[in-house]
Amino acid sequence: MSRTRSAVAATALALVVLTACSSGRSGKTEAGAEAGRPVSGGSLTWAVETEPITFNPHQYAQAKARLLVWNTFEALLTHDGQGGYLPWLSTGHEVSADGKTYTFKLRTDVTFTDGTRFDAEAVKANIDQFRVDGYNPTVLAVQLRNLDQVEVVDPATVAFHLKQPDVLLLDFLSSPQGAQVSPKSLKEAKNLKAGGPELAGTGPFLLDHYTAGQEVVFTRNPAYDWAPANAGHSGAAYLDRITYRFLKESSVRVGALTSGQVQIVEGVPATDEGLITANPQLSLSRGLNSGSAYSYYFNTTHAPFDDLKVRQAFREAVDVDAVLTGVYRGSATRAWSVIGPTSPFYDKSLEKTYGGDAAKANRLLDEAGWTTRDADGFRTKDGKRLTVRLVQSAPFVRDRRDVLAQAVQAQVKQSAGIDLNVAVVDQGTATQALADGQYEVFDNSRADTDAGAALNLLLHSAGAINRTGFQDPVLDRLLEGGQAGADQAQRLTAYRQVQKLTITDQALILPLYAPADQVAADTRVGGLGFEPTAGVPGSAYDLWLSR
Amino acid sequence: MTRVIARRIVSGVVVLWAAATAAYLALLAAPGDIVDSLIGDGADTPQIRAQIIAEWHLDRPAVVQYLDYLWRAVQGDLGRSYLLQRPVGEVIGDQIPPTLKLAVAAAVFGVVLALILAVTTRHRWVRRASSTVELIIVSTPPFLIGIVLLSVFSFRFGLFPVSGDRGWAALVLPAVTLGLPIAGVLAQVLRDGLDRALDEPFAVTARARGLRERAVLVRHALRHALIPAVTLLGWLTGVLLGGAVIIEQVFGRPGLGQVTLQAVGNGDMPVVLAVVVSAAAAFVVINTAADLAYLIIDPRLRRS
Repeated sequence: MSRTRSAVAATALALVVLTACSSGRSGKTEAGAEAGRPVSGGSLTWAVETEPITFNPHQYAQAKARLLVWNTFEALLTHDGQGGYLPWLSTGHEVSADGKTYTFKLRTDVTFTDGTRFDAEAVKANIDQFRVDGYNPTVLAVQLRNLDQVEVVDPATVAFHLKQPDVLLLDFLSSPQGAQVSPKSLKEAKNLKAGGPELAGTGPFLLDHYTAGQEVVFTRNPAYDWAPANAGHSGAAYLDRITYRFLKESSVRVGALTSGQVQIVEGVPATDEGLITANPQLSLSRGLNSGSAYSYYFNTTHAPFDDLKVRQAFREAVDVDAVLTGVYRGSATRAWSVIGPTSPFYDKSLEKTYGGDAAKANRLLDEAGWTTRDADGFRTKDGKRLTVRLVQSAPFVRDRRDVLAQAVQAQVKQSAGIDLNVAVVDQGTATQALADGQYEVFDNSRADTDAGAALNLLLHSAGAINRTGFQDPVLDRLLEGGQAGADQAQRLTAYRQVQKLTITDQALILPLYAPADQVAADTRVGGLGFEPTAGVPGSAYDLWLSR
Repeated sequence: MTRVIARRIVSGVVVLWAAATAAYLALLAAPGDIVDSLIGDGADTPQIRAQIIAEWHLDRPAVVQYLDYLWRAVQGDLGRSYLLQRPVGEVIGDQIPPTLKLAVAAAVFGVVLALILAVTTRHRWVRRASSTVELIIVSTPPFLIGIVLLSVFSFRFGLFPVSGDRGWAALVLPAVTLGLPIAGVLAQVLRDGLDRALDEPFAVTARARGLRERAVLVRHALRHALIPAVTLLGWLTGVLLGGAVIIEQVFGRPGLGQVTLQAVGNGDMPVVLAVVVSAAAAFVVINTAADLAYLIIDPRLRRS
C-alpha cells in the first residue's frame, strides 16, 4: 500500500476542462477522444489499487484516495493548473495587507446532501472539528499551525485570522482535509473518523454503500449545480452510478479491463502498457504527480556523506537514464530536481547538469581520500569500506522501487566501487533505523499539490522528515519565505534558490523519477482527466459512457 | 463425557490466552514503537506524539496495558483499530462471513475432490498420473494458480466474475484455487491410507464374504483411511486461513485476509491481536471437532 500523507495537500476537481469537453485544447490525455459527445446516464466500474483507510476527507492521508474524496466532498478553492486558485464553494477571497486575514465570500446556493445549508457557520464548524482532541492532531499541528480563529462575519462571509502570514492556508482550503463536511453529520456520525455513507458533503455524488475489501458505490446527487469554473460541464454528474472495486493485483486489474468486467483501471504497470496500447478498444493516459520527485536523500550527519565530494561522487556514479530504462522500460520520467517537473516551481535549468559520469565519480572519490580498494573491488579508506545503507519500509515500496534500488546498487558498485546496502524491512524496523540515524540514503516522494509543503517537511532544519540532517539558516529562511510569500513571483524566486542550494551547491539529493498515475479505460468512456496540479486521477464528475 | 468436554473448554481458553499473550509479547518486541507506526510518514512533532500517546493511553506501563487489554477482551471488547478508527469487533465481524464462506466452499471442494481422486485412481498408471498432478498443484503457489484460473475462466472465457463477494459465481474460482492444494495433499494421504487398509485382515475377510472390491473400498477401507486425514484438519484450518490472505488479495474479495495484511503492515495492534485470537479460536474449535470425529469414525475409541 502506498500511503503518501500529503501534509499540506490540495487540489481540485479534475483537469477535465483540459481533456473532456475541449477537443484538443490539451494533449495531456487522449482518453475520451473516441467517446464522442457527453451523454447522461449509465454506470461505470473502475478498478482501483488502493483501498482508502477512511472516507472522512478531514482524515485523508492517501494520495490515491483523492479520486474518491472529490466525488462526495468539495472545498472552498480549487487549483487552476498554473499554480493559482479558483473559487469552488466560495465566490472569491481577499487577503488583508498584513497577510494575516483571509476573508472568503461563500456561495449561497449550496446544500449538503443531508439537507443542511452550506454557509459560514458550516465552514467554522469544520475548522472547529479539528480542535476536538484527537480528531486529527497532524492537521492541527501542520496545516492549521498558524490559524488563530475563524470568524463568521455573516452567513455568506467567513474570515480566517492567522497568527502570522501563511500562504499555505489556501493550499489547505483546496485540499481534502479542508473539504466541507455537513456540520450535522460531524455531530451525528457514529464512525466519524472512518466516514462512509453517513457523512454528507456537497459533491456531485453520494456515497451509497461501501463493502470493506471489495467496493464502494457512489450515486449521482441530482441537486448538484455548483461545479467550479474549470470543470468540464455544469449541473449534475453524467453518470447515474460509479463503482470503484479494490483490485490490488495489477495483472488482475488489467485482465478485468481487457475482459470488459470493468471500464477503467488505475495503476497500470509499465509491463502491461503495451497490452493496453495495442488494443484499439482501450486507451491509456498518464498524469505526472506534483509534489516532490522520487529521490534519494543523503544523510549528511556522519561519514561518508558528510563529505560533499562523496555525495557528488555517488550522483555521478549513477546513470539514472540507464537505470530507469532497465527497470521501467522507458515509461518513467526522469527527475532532475526534488520538485516534480509539473510544478510551477520546477527549475528546468537543472536538467543535464549532473550525473552519469563515472570518471568524474572516481576522481571525486580519489580526492575525498577513498583511494584504496578491497578484495571485492569496493573503495576503502583507512581500512573501512565505502558502504552506504538504504533502508526501505516494505509497506511503502511501490513502483518497484526495491528493484530500482538493486539497479542503482549494481551501477555504483561497477562504476565507482561504492557499496550500496539495500534492506527492505517492515515499517517498525525502518522507523527505528531512521530514528537512530542507521542509514546513509533515504528514499521518498510526496504527492503534495504545492511542492512547498513537501520541501518544508524534507529540507527545513525543523522539518518532520528532514532525513538529510542538513541544517542551514539560509535554506530555512528561503523555505519560510516561500511559505509566507503570497506573491507567486516571490515564491518562485525562493524555491529556485532552494533547488540551487540543495541540488547544485550541496548535492544533498539524487532525484530519480517523477511518479505518475497511469489510467487505462474503455474507449467508450469519456471525460477522464487528472487533477491539475496533483496529477492524480480526478473525480467522476465529468465521466460519461457512450453507448 | 461431560468431563471430557469441560476439559476441552478449559484447555481451549488456555490456548486462547496463550495466543493473545504471545501476540502481545511479539508486538512489544517488534522494532519501532506504536506512535511511529501511527504517524506513518506523516508530520512528526512532539505535540502530535503527545496527542497520539494520550489518545491511545500509550503512556501507561506495558503490563497495565496488557492486563487492561485482557480484561476488556474477556468482556468482549477488542478495542478500536488504530488505523481504521472503528471498533475492532466491527472490523473483524464484517470480514468473518466472506472468509468463512470462502473457507467452507474451498474445504468442501477440496475434500470431495480428494475423496473422488483417492477412490477412483486405483489403477497403476492413472494413479501415477493423478499423483504427479497432485504434487504439481501442491507445490505451485496459490497466487499463481489463482492468476491462471482467472486468466482462463474469467478474462478469456468470461465464465466467472473476477471480484467480490457477489453471488455464487464469484465464489467458484477463489474456492477452487484455495481447495486445489488441499485436495492434492488429502488425496495422497487418503490413497496411502486405503492401500494400508486394503492389506488388513478385515479387508481379506470382507472379500471372503463375497463383497465386491468397490464395496470393500468404500464401506470398510475408506473409514480407516479417514483417520489420518482427519488428523490433518488442524493443518487444513491453517491452509484455509493463510491461503485466504492471498486469495482475497488476488480476487479482490473482502475478508479477514485483507484486513490482517493491512493491519500487520501498519502495526495496527488491536486488529492484529484480534485476528490472532480469532485464528486461535478457530484452531481450538476445529481440533475439538476433529477429536469428536475420531469417535464417530472409529467405534473402538467410543468404548474407552
